[in-house]
Amino acid sequence: MLKKLLLMGVLVFWPSYCYSESIQPYFGTTPNAAAGGNTWIMNNVLPTPPGLDINGVIYNYTIQKDVNDSAKVHVQNENVNGTGYIFRETDEWQAGSLGGTEIRKVVPVIPNLARELWGNGSIEIEGNATVEDPNVVYMYKVDPCYDPQFDPNCPGYKVQIPEIEIVDIDSIYSSNNETIEIATTETDYDIYEEDELLESDEEDEEREKMRLEAALAAVDNSEIFANAFAQAQILISMNMAIQMNSYYAANIQGGVYNDSLTLVDKKIEDNKQGLRNGFAQQLLHEQMIQEQYN
Amino acid sequence: MFKKLLISMLFLVPFSVQSADIPITGNVQSRCVITTDTPGVYGNPNAYTLTTASADGGVQPIVRYDVTLANAYYAQITTPTSFAQSPSLSDTVTWTGSTEVSSISDATNMGSYETNKTTFGQTTQYDLTATGSTWFKSSSTATYGGNKAFPGGTYTANVEAICVAK
Repeated sequence: MLKKLLLMGVLVFWPSYCYSESIQPYFGTTPNAAAGGNTWIMNNVLPTPPGLDINGVIYNYTIQKDVNDSAKVHVQNENVNGTGYIFRETDEWQAGSLGGTEIRKVVPVIPNLARELWGNGSIEIEGNATVEDPNVVYMYKVDPCYDPQFDPNCPGYKVQIPEIEIVDIDSIYSSNNETIEIATTETDYDIYEEDELLESDEEDEEREKMRLEAALAAVDNSEIFANAFAQAQILISMNMAIQMNSYYAANIQGGVYNDSLTLVDKKIEDNKQGLRNGFAQQLLHEQMIQEQYN
Repeated sequence: MFKKLLISMLFLVPFSVQSADIPITGNVQSRCVITTDTPGVYGNPNAYTLTTASADGGVQPIVRYDVTLANAYYAQITTPTSFAQSPSLSDTVTWTGSTEVSSISDATNMGSYETNKTTFGQTTQYDLTATGSTWFKSSSTATYGGNKAFPGGTYTANVEAICVAK
């Protein structure tokens, strides 16, 4: 018996629980847009929430005209993005229709038209007639979840995570470089400080010590510079490889390359120094030949 | 032999005759719906007159016809000729009344309803040539005979509105 009661309780409260979990669209109507006359500004008529979709227009008015006259009455809204109308309903009052007759209409509207497209509204009359007691009301639907972030129960809702800037920690702090940096900084500082002391006529021994420290620090610095230099050389060599590749791939245009050398004198004088050298070689040659007979 | 006899006896037994009535049902949805839009109220401008004129404190009854099939119906509206409820009346009551188009939903096709109406007695007939809604407004006046004062009490009268198929 208790189980049955519990089950009934769950069944009774289940629908209300489900309803509270979802955000339902709601419907509404505007006040009379034509209360202030036959033209109206939509921003003054429509409510403000985003996700508003106009789904119909209800209007009524009383025509005043002579029974023999004909007239057209347009209830309309301009299209903001064009020269036409986003909504236009025409009532054609023909001859034979009596003045004083009221018309009541409910006109559906193409759904999902952006609210921003709804321009100013008006009642336009063509012909010899007037309109009395106009009443124009817009029916609309508002989807609160148009913006999914409106409520956590909206479909597509995303939990907002604060944006944290990603920082490369190694670029800020490296434990490997800590000692060198500190040592370098301290050493340099000491060097500069002690250099000033040297200039102020300190003793030579102290000067020697400081020079020794400076030398040791220079060793550390030189290691750093050497590493940097080595890296720079590697980069240079890599760049050279890239630069040379363009030469390897270069093509020399074909054709005949004629000799551009021109001899003006047409006769080349003997080189006297060469002649002397030639004689020396000849003499040496003859001596070597004569030696075989000695 | 016995079996053959048995079979032949079976053929001799007359079969019982059975019958059944198979119903055919169908629903016809009315294409002319009449709805009371505004109930009327009698005003009492003087002792011997009851009227729906707004100037005399009355309210004109309005009835709406919703038609979904054009050129298929007449709207016949009859203003009252007797009280449905009243104190005992010893004299005659004179009735006058009229009906006119109050509102329409289609200017082009319903605009001439009023000019094309026909009236016979207390009844006004409209040819419903277009689909849509039409509101008809009636007025009714009851005058007690000989300008006598109406006895005190509640008076009720009915406007009869019907759709007549063509």
